[in-house]
Formats: sequence, structure tokens, C-alpha cells
Amino acid sequence: MIKAERLAKIVGAGNVSQKPAVLEAYSADMSFVNTIKPDYVVKPRNSDDIAKLVKLANKTQTPLVPVSSGGPHFRGDTVPGAGGAVIVDLTKMKKVIRVDRFHRVAMVEPGVTFGELIPAVEKEGLRLNMPLVPRKSKTVVGSMLEREPVVMPKYQWDISDPLACIEVVFGNGEVFRTGQAAGPGTIEEQWAAGGAQKTPYGPGPAQWNRLVQGAQGTMGIVTWASLRCEILPKLEEPFLVGSSDLNKFFELIHWLIRLRLVNECLVLNNVNLAALAAKKWPGDYPDLKDSLPPWVLFFNVAGYDYFPEDRVKAQMKGISDITNRIGLEAVRAVGRVSAAEMLKMVQRPSAEPYWKLRYKGACHDIFFITTYEKLEGQIGVMYELANEFGYPASDMGIYLQPIVQGANCHCEFNLFYDPQNPGELNRVEELSSFAVTSLMATGAFFSRPYDKSARMIVNRDAAYVAALTKVKEILDPNKVMNPGKLCF
Amino acid sequence: MAIEDYRGDVEMCCRCSACKHIPLQKVKGVEHSYACPSIAKYNFHAYSGSGRLLIAKEMLTNGFKYTDKLLHIVYNCQMCGACDTSCKYAMDMEVLLPINEFRIRCVEAGHSHPALDKVINSLRKQGTMGPGARGKRAAWAEGLGLKNATKEKVEVYYHVGCLTSYDKNYQKLAKATAKILKKAGVNFGIGYENESCCGGRAFQMGYKEDFLKQAKKNMDMLKDSGVKTLVTSCADGYQAFKVLYDKYNLKGDLEVLHITEYLARLIKEGRLKLNKKVNMTVTYHDPCYLGRLGEPWIHWEGKRIPGYKFVFDPPKEYRRGTNGVYEPPREVITSIPGVKLSEMDRIKEYAWCCGAGGGVNQSNPEFASWTAMERIEEAESTGAEAIASACPWCEKNFNEAIKESGSDLKVYDIVELVEKAI
Amino acid sequence: MAIKKEVYKEFEDVVGAENISDDPAIKDAYRSPDITVVLPGNTEEVAAVVKLCNKHKIPFKAQSTGWLLFAPTYDFIYLDLRRMNRIIEINEKNMYAVVEPYVISAELQGELFKRGMICNVKGSGSTCTAIAMSGHGHMGLTTSTGDRNDLATEWVTDEGEIIRIGTLGASDEWFCGDGPGPSLRGILRGGGVITKQATKVYHWPGPSEYPLEGLSPRYKLSKKPSELNMMVRYFSFPSIEKLIEAELKIGEAEIAFELMGFNPSMVSSNITTSNEEDFATLDKFTKEVQGPGFMVIITGNYDEDFAYKKKALEQIIKETDGKSLKAVEDPDVEATLLFQCTRVSASIRETFRAGGMFSSMMVQGQRYDNHVRWLEEAAVWKRDLIKKELVIADDGQQFGWGEEQGHLGHSEIFCRYNPYDEKSSEAVQKWMERVGKRALDGCFAVPSMGVLPVDVVGKKVSNYHIWFGKLKKAFDPNGVGEQTGFSYVGADSSGAHTSIYQKKPEKTKK
Repeated sequence: MIKAERLAKIVGAGNVSQKPAVLEAYSADMSFVNTIKPDYVVKPRNSDDIAKLVKLANKTQTPLVPVSSGGPHFRGDTVPGAGGAVIVDLTKMKKVIRVDRFHRVAMVEPGVTFGELIPAVEKEGLRLNMPLVPRKSKTVVGSMLEREPVVMPKYQWDISDPLACIEVVFGNGEVFRTGQAAGPGTIEEQWAAGGAQKTPYGPGPAQWNRLVQGAQGTMGIVTWASLRCEILPKLEEPFLVGSSDLNKFFELIHWLIRLRLVNECLVLNNVNLAALAAKKWPGDYPDLKDSLPPWVLFFNVAGYDYFPEDRVKAQMKGISDITNRIGLEAVRAVGRVSAAEMLKMVQRPSAEPYWKLRYKGACHDIFFITTYEKLEGQIGVMYELANEFGYPASDMGIYLQPIVQGANCHCEFNLFYDPQNPGELNRVEELSSFAVTSLMATGAFFSRPYDKSARMIVNRDAAYVAALTKVKEILDPNKVMNPGKLCF
Repeated sequence: MAIEDYRGDVEMCCRCSACKHIPLQKVKGVEHSYACPSIAKYNFHAYSGSGRLLIAKEMLTNGFKYTDKLLHIVYNCQMCGACDTSCKYAMDMEVLLPINEFRIRCVEAGHSHPALDKVINSLRKQGTMGPGARGKRAAWAEGLGLKNATKEKVEVYYHVGCLTSYDKNYQKLAKATAKILKKAGVNFGIGYENESCCGGRAFQMGYKEDFLKQAKKNMDMLKDSGVKTLVTSCADGYQAFKVLYDKYNLKGDLEVLHITEYLARLIKEGRLKLNKKVNMTVTYHDPCYLGRLGEPWIHWEGKRIPGYKFVFDPPKEYRRGTNGVYEPPREVITSIPGVKLSEMDRIKEYAWCCGAGGGVNQSNPEFASWTAMERIEEAESTGAEAIASACPWCEKNFNEAIKESGSDLKVYDIVELVEKAI
Repeated sequence: MAIKKEVYKEFEDVVGAENISDDPAIKDAYRSPDITVVLPGNTEEVAAVVKLCNKHKIPFKAQSTGWLLFAPTYDFIYLDLRRMNRIIEINEKNMYAVVEPYVISAELQGELFKRGMICNVKGSGSTCTAIAMSGHGHMGLTTSTGDRNDLATEWVTDEGEIIRIGTLGASDEWFCGDGPGPSLRGILRGGGVITKQATKVYHWPGPSEYPLEGLSPRYKLSKKPSELNMMVRYFSFPSIEKLIEAELKIGEAEIAFELMGFNPSMVSSNITTSNEEDFATLDKFTKEVQGPGFMVIITGNYDEDFAYKKKALEQIIKETDGKSLKAVEDPDVEATLLFQCTRVSASIRETFRAGGMFSSMMVQGQRYDNHVRWLEEAAVWKRDLIKKELVIADDGQQFGWGEEQGHLGHSEIFCRYNPYDEKSSEAVQKWMERVGKRALDGCFAVPSMGVLPVDVVGKKVSNYHIWFGKLKKAFDPNGVGEQTGFSYVGADSSGAHTSIYQKKPEKTKK
């Protein structure tokens, strides 16, 4: 175990904690991973601190677990996978380093939350491509590193978007910058030359950011990230479509995205939409849910600087041609939820408490990537399993998010449960474990494997694991970065 | 001209691979996107137009090395000119001419192909390239009472061609042509035993001197006969008289027409009436030597302007396949009542070769057949019952391939279809 | 060096006698004196060949059509992927296509057009592989660029291991290329051979087949572009700043299908069918344009969409003092640019026709305004070369285009010249080095690969060459994989060159 003084020398005494309550908070989360208590929680102030920490970890073979978002955590990736770990809590690094309207890019430290960045970019006439109503403490960097799905598929050209460049301290303690940020020159020199750390690829033939995204902190610690921003619309016209026919939705979604007609575009089942929209708990929730059709598609049409009304009108014409052909209707409200309030919700992080926790206090997410033609079958499988395990289908939230401009679709089952009720907890744990295996058999792609299933998911392809291991050996030769995660 | 004169052209090749494909805006998918049979079959880059130029460039620089493989590359090329046309969509450079000159160099250096030597021996002995030629050249015309153009004044000299004259399967084309011309009241004659091979295929095969001998012999005969217009039903013959003879300043004022051009003219003038219905869906195969290579020769003499640009003084005009004979055969086909024309994907200046040209028919019948089968499948994909062409070599190659494969597709020469309609 | 007979036999056993050759005539066509050419027919053969290369420590290089082949001049196994030319799948609902390496963009595009879709085509033209690669293309505003179009990929590493990336490894499907966990798409372009790949495709509002008439080289559209809800224009601007402003506004307004920062010489090359016609037309254009410019293609998915986009374009051009080139307003010229710049079938006219060679400084990524600024300096030096008649005269300008509605971009400046003229070649080489050095010193960009020694560049760019050297060593322990051209020149962990290739390139004798 490292001596506290060595850590204090790096980050300052006030940023090293061994308080039992603090350690306790990081030893478990809302996932089903085993509880392992860290030895320390440290809060570095800057990238220098981080580099020193990593170098020290290498010298002393100390596991490091980077955490950028505040709690509650859900995935298990921030719980140590090995004993003797030091939590590197990045929540103090809260600088919004730069917002650049001309280049449509922002640059932030890892502790910056959505709630903190959104007003900063809005001031410059920009907006973020966000995940769906993240919790208040969720950080932008954390979300991007996890490749969380974003609500505007049109603006997600690649699954790594909106991430542009990162500065990362690799597991061996060396600092590296990816993409355009790599150089030549320091960041300041690049700014002076007109650079804005926008380009994600490179340097050289490799795409380094892709090796850090999805790695759950096993390759290094990100000290800042730049991200692509979009411009704030001058005019927005949000719509909802209700239906019980998912296939019609997919047909509509395919064309809305293919013709680039909409910005936000996502599907929620009535359970999830009610959970999001209900204002008074528990009163509002059941009636709200009952007022909604089984599925609700939300999309938003936007106009920008040039003749925004004309643009929206033209897009609406295109949309109505499609909806008429398919036999659906885009409306301003469905049940007791209006499109306008939905728009407000999806452009902000969640108010407290986090919307997923309001119903029962806890939520376990099962999510994967899939294609439209498989979805109905996969949803069916999940309902069957829920039934088998005694989980009430009426409690299961479903969120379908087309991503990467419609190349595939994120499917998420939200299992709400009462964490104080051991029966419910066990049921959800068993169900989720079984569900992962069953869904994989239907072609569900668990691209972001967490929790107890992660190892099983990754290890299915030995050649892939061998290749990943080679990368790991280069970037983190002493295996100090979050050991026990993925296949490491 | 010799291969050395094309050094600038061979050095221009940037290996873009356009020569392997039909012009890119015509590509409709993976099927039927290739233009060059040679690389389509043999796959090594050496077999493409670019490959051949790069080999020439290397050998011009470092000396000629005649390996078996080199000769395999050289002789497994139908000299169809597809690479030339595709390249010249974007580039100003010669492709087929240096390829042909390279082959001529091989023959001159004593590296000819034994199978082609046999054909040339027949040419030297009998004045014909037709395989297994026996007996009189004009035996097919016995009893038809056709005028002898070398003895009587005629408006049109009908050059029959080697294959049509000697091959019993294709003499019907000569007879059909004669019947049609008679029906249209054309004052025409043939050369009888004075007709000799045009020499065109000999040139493609690399035997330049033999070609020139034939050319001079034919032009002497034609000059003596006083004929002003020559009509032929063989695409090779057409290209020889029209283009090659002109290239070597032998053609003079002779008007050279393919039978399809002449028939189109006769139909337009009302001299030939097609009355009988022929209910058939056909697809038309453009023979290389009538189509892209049938384009008139452009006489040009000049020098490259020194410097970095590949330009000449005076400016060089390139033959790019634009002015080949494409419409007249189609006009004739669509004039036949009941016939429906269904086009293939690769037509006109980017038609796929039948497989017979460049001596491949004799030197590598398997490759010739493979090439023909590709075309047969393409023809079948149009839904047509028959493939019609305007060259007996194409038709022969198609028929042989169909026999091997058991396809139901019928093969006709355009004159056969016209004969059915008169 | 010919490889030993018994070793040759081992390769022959994998691909068959008809698919391997080290005959001089075969090698000449690949412009390399010391290679053995191998034509694998499928992934397993590729893997087996690569494993043999590892066993016998023979370097290899894989290529599809090999445009402007950067042939190394050392002994190696050349994997010509010609026999791997199938389209495996086109998925219309999820908008991707799966191809083998020798499917060319023109072929994939032809198939996609029938389904109302289109793929990205690299700037080098549609004779190049349809595999995403790192090439930026004319239509990048709409069809993104290079590796950002990758989905699942089948990849043979430099050791001959077959790795199936993304959903391919998980469930034999193609729709996602990332995970589980980190994405190995990150190391795809370091080496190895991509044997199959899914690539994103996009909506195509145009016809399922262009209604072309006429004969090569002058094809025409039988319909006016406006009848297809399409419009092509070329606008010149009084300054590069105004051009950038217009480019950005068009990107942000999301109104253009394609925006190509052609200079007038590229427009004239594109629409003319001979060098003489080209130079005469350029003369005319040069007198008409007021400064740098770009070509823009607007397409409407339906009438109202087309009308809106044209209206917005008109306003943007007005605001930025753009001037339309009259010649391009002629529907025939407009049509030629339309089909050539969407089928990308005339890149060769723009680059090679004039002199047979061009050397390009290009950089991809953020365009405004660091790359633009740097290439403005390069342009000044290029104009000097034009004055001295060392390179072909054009307006000396840089060009480029936005990608992903202007978020990213491609910036380039090239010199066309006669490669057999030593003075020209030397001058162009020096110009490239000077421009490359300026990129580094001015912190503008990473210069094109091969212009400067990789450790000189790498030291200023987060020592990426050292990191990449480690990746290379891990995946290519025997050093037999791709080492030149667009890929990385070998370096060990100290950054020193470890290329096993000792021979210097031979000078071509005149």
C-alpha cells in the first residue's frame, strides 16, 4: 500500500482521503459487481498531478481506478476490480477550457458535467449532442469515453462522435494527445496557428481515441477532451408519434434520418416516457403511463441561420409525405406529454433525483447495439424472460436510440426496482445475467460490456482478446489501470 | 512507327486501372464492369493495358527480355482496344498502338507464336487467314452469276473475306449478302480468285510485313478494277481497308463501307425494302474492329513540345473510339419488322470483345471461348433469344462457345436477319 | 532476389500455380524488379500467405487496384487482391455495404444507385477500392470520409491472424465496428490486410442510373440537372477569407451535397477532353474568375427541399461576394460536372493528363483556418515554380473542401510536372520539403507522409512514431508488413528507423 504522504505530495493533502465513508462510497455502486474497497480516493487538480500519480502507480504496482462523474454510478467500472486500488476522482477538474463557435468545438476537463457545459456553449450559440437526460453528476468526458448513445443520430457520423481529441496519460505514465491535438506544437501554439483540436483521427495511421473509448479506464486517464458541437437552431418544431407498431416506427425513423430531416430522434416506451415526464411522484406516474400508447417516437425539426422557417416548412413537407405513406401521424402531444416539454427535457441533464431512480429508487440497464429488423424479436425475448423471472413487464422501460446516422440502433432495457427489497434486487440480478446471454444469441451486440457479464462477453472472441491484450501491454505494461475490467 | 516512338505514351501511364474497366460512368455494378478480357481472365496486372505499357517502358529502358511468360502476356490479348478507349476517356496517350507495336517487335525478333505462324503460312501460300482453307475462294458463288469486279465495271466491290469465303458454316453470309444486294438492285461484283486476305488480322498478330504485302496487293487489284466503293461484311476487313490501309497511305480515295453501313444507306434511300416480319428479340454485339477500332485514321505528324506537359506541335488529335460504326447496324436491325432490340450493358465503344481477335482464336482457343462465354451470358441477361453481330469471326466464336456450353442462344449475322425480312 | 524454389512452392501450394509468378515480365508491370506476385482468392489464402511471409521473414505488400503504385524497390511478396472482388452484402435499412478489397467504388456506387444510395468515393477516383481506407473524397460534405465510414471489418494482421472486428466477431454480422470494449478500428490502418469491410452508405437523391447519351469521351446527360432536382455551380470569391466564409456557411446550412474547392484548372481539366482544349479553357476561366473558388452541387430530395437549398445558397453567395462562372451555368457543362463529380470518374484528367505526374501536399482534418493559412504560403512558393516553368502553370492555388457539413475537411495543393525532367522533379521535391517543414514549424499540420523523415515529424507530434512503432512491433514482430507509402516507416521504440529495406530507390534511366 502506498503511503498517504506520497499521494499528498502529488495532489495536496486535502485531496487524499481514507475516510471510511468515502472509501465505502467507491467500493460498490448500483451494479452487481463484487464489493472491493479502495485504499484511497485522491482528487488530482490537473494533468500534471495525474501523470505523477500514474508514474507512482507503476513504481508501486498500485491499481488506479479513474472516475470522472459523480455518483450514483451504475456500471461497475468505477468499482475497483482488485484490492489496494486508488480511486482517481477527477471531479475537481472542472475547467471549461475553451468554447469556439467558429470551429464548433469545445474543450473540457474530465470533471465538467453536462449541466456545466451546456450554458457555456449556449452562450456561443452552440449545443451538445447529448445522451438521453443524463444524471446531474454525469460528466461530458465520462459519457464520451463510454461511447454513450446520443440523441441526434444525424450528427453522429461515427460512433466515436462527439469526441474529437483527448489528452491522456497512458498507463505507463506518459502523456499523449490524440488526433489533431497531438501536434505539431503545444495546444496554445496550435491555437495561435488557428488550430482547434477538432480532428479526431491520427496522429499517423492509428486512431488512438478509439483505443481509449470503451476501455473503462484500462488504458489510461484522460485529462481533457475536445468535442464537436452543433449550432443552436433558430427555430425548433418538436413532434411526437404514438403507435403500437414498432415496424412502422422503424420505417419512419429510417427515412427521417436518411433524408437528414430531423435532429433529435428517439423512441421510448410508455414506461420510460412516463418516468421521464412525471412531475409529481408517485401520483402522476401511473396516469401518465396509462395515457400513453405503448411506443412513442420523438423527433425535432430545426431551422438554422438561413430562412429557418422555410427550412422547417420544407422539412415538414418531406416528413408528412413519409408519415402519410406509412400511416402514422406526427402530433404536438401524445397522451399527457407534449413534444415541447419533451424537447426541453432532452436538451438538459436530469433534474434531481435522477429520472431513472424516481420510480423505485434503483434501475439496472441492459443495453446493446442492434439493427431494426432484429429489435422486435429481441424485445420479445426480453419480455419473455421478464415473465419467466417474475419481473413485471409493466415496470420495464425501453429506450431505442438510432445511432451513427441510422447504421445501427442502441436498445436499452431499464429494469426499475426497489434496492431495499432483496427479492426485487435478486430478481433483477438474475434476470439481467440470463438476459445478456439470451440476447447475445439473437445477435444483440454488447459493445459496451459492464458488470459481471463483461468478461464473458469480451472473452468469446479469443483473437480479439489477444489483439486487445497487445494494445494493453503497450499502453499499460504494468497493468495498473483498472485491473479486473473487460478481459484484463 | 516502332515501339520506340511510343516511349512518351508508355511513360504516361499512371496505373489508374481505368483500362481494366468500361468508362466509369457506365459502370452499373459489379456485373459487366470489366472491359479487358485478358486481365479479367489472367488477373496479373501485366495482362491489362497498363501492365503492357509498363512492361514496354521497362524493356525500352533496360532491354527486351523474351521469357515464356512475356510471350504468354503478349499473345493472350485480343487487341480489342477496350483499354485504349477507357484510358482515353481521361488521358491523352496511346495505348493500343504501342501494344500492337510491341507485338510486332516480338515477331520481328523471332518470338512469334507457333499457332500464328501456321496461320501466316496459310496466308503466304493461299492468301487467306481462314483456317483449313481448301479449294477455290469463290466456290460459294458458283451458280449465282455474280459479276467479276476485276473484269466488269461495278458500282460496288463486295470484299467477302477469308472466313466467309472458305468456312462452309459461314458461306451462307456471303450468299445472303449477295442476295440482298441483288434485291436492292446494286451493281456489285466480287473479286473471285483475285480476292485476297485484307491482312488486317496479320497486323493484329504482329506480322506487319505480311500485312503490308497483302495491302499493296489488294490496293493494286482495286486500283486496276477502277472500283470507287468497297463493301465488306467482315469487321476485320473493314478496319483493315478503312483504317490500316489509310494509316500506311495505301487507301487513296477508296470509299470503304461495312455492309451494315451500306444496308442502312439502302434502306434510307428506299432501295431496300424489308417487308417480312421476323419476330425475335435480339441483342447486338458491336465487333471491336467495326466499333471503337473502326474509327477513321487521323493523319498526324508532329513533335512533342519539350517541357513538362505531354503536348505536341501541331496538337495531336486522338482516336478515342467516338467515331466507330455504332448506329448503322442498329438502324438496320430496328428496320426489320418484328425485331426487338435489347441492349447489353457493354455496348458501342465499350463493348466486350467476342474473344476471337488478335490471333487468340488460334493461339489460345480456350481463352477465346472463355471470353465468348462471358459475352453469351451477358447477352442472355438481356432476355434476348439471339445475339446478332456484324462480323463472321465474332459469330464463329460465339457459336463454338454456345456448342460447348449448351446455351440456347441463337447467333445471327445482321445480313441473315435482313435476308429473312426481304 | 528471387525467393528460393522450395519457398516459392510453399506459396504456390496456398494459391495455386496460376496465381503466383516471379517472372520478370510480370514484375515489370508492377514496376518492381524484385517481387513475387501472389493473387489470393479469399481471406484464408491471405492469412496463409502472410503466415508464410512471417515464417520465411519475407516482407509483403498488399494492394487492390494500385493507383499510382508506390512500389518499394526491395524484395517482397506482392499481394494483388484482384481476385477478392465481391460485394458481400448491401443492407438498405441500416445503410451499409460490405465489400472485398477489389470492388472498386464505381462498381459499388453503380449497385447503390439502383437502391437510391451512394457511397463515399476517394478523391483519387472511382477506380480505387471501395474499402473505406483513409481517403477523402469529393462528396465528403455528405458521405463523410475515410475510416469514419468503417463498420465491422475482417482483418488479417501482419502475423497472419484473422481478427473479426466488432459485430463480425460477436455474431457474424456487419453493422458495428466497435467493441466489445475499446475499438480495434483504432489500429486497422497500421498494417495487415483488410479482407472484407462494411462501409456506411448514404442517401442518393439522384437517378438510379444517369441518363447518359453520346460516346466516350463526351458523354452528356439527356436531362438537364434541374430536371433531376440538381444544380452545379462554380463560384469565385474576392479572397480566400470570403471563400472560407462561404464554405463554412454552406456547411452549417447543410444545403450542399458536394462542395469541391476546385481551382479553375481543375474545372477546365474536368470538362475538357484533351490537353489543348484544357489549356484554352483555363485561359478563358482565369480571365473570368475573381479569385479562389469552389464548385458546389445542390441536390434536392424533393421539390421543396431543392427550392430551399437553392434559396439559401443564393443568399450565402450574395453575402460573401461570390461570382458564378458563366460556363458552368450552361446545362451541358453543368451536367458533365454533375455526373463526373458524383461518379468521381475524371480525377485523372485533373491530375495526370497534363504531364503524367503530380506531387501533392495534402492534409486532412480541421480546415479552417490553420490548414488554409499554411497552404497559402505553399501557394506563394508554388507560383514561383510556375514562373520558372518547373511545374505546369495553373493559378497556383490551394484547394480543398469541407467534410461532414464543414466539421472536418481536406486541404491540398499539388504541382503537376514531368517526372522524367530532373530539374522539375528536384524542384518539386524541394518544394514539398519546404512546405512540410513550414507545417511543423508553424504548428499548422502534420505534413503528408514521406515528405520528411518520420522521426523528425514524430518528435513534434506527441512522439506518435514511437507509440506507433510499439504497435507495429507488437502486431508485426517479424517486420514483414507494410512499411512504406501511406503506412508507417518502421521505427523502434527509440524512434530510430528499423526498416529492413536497405536499398535506395533506383533512378529511372532515360
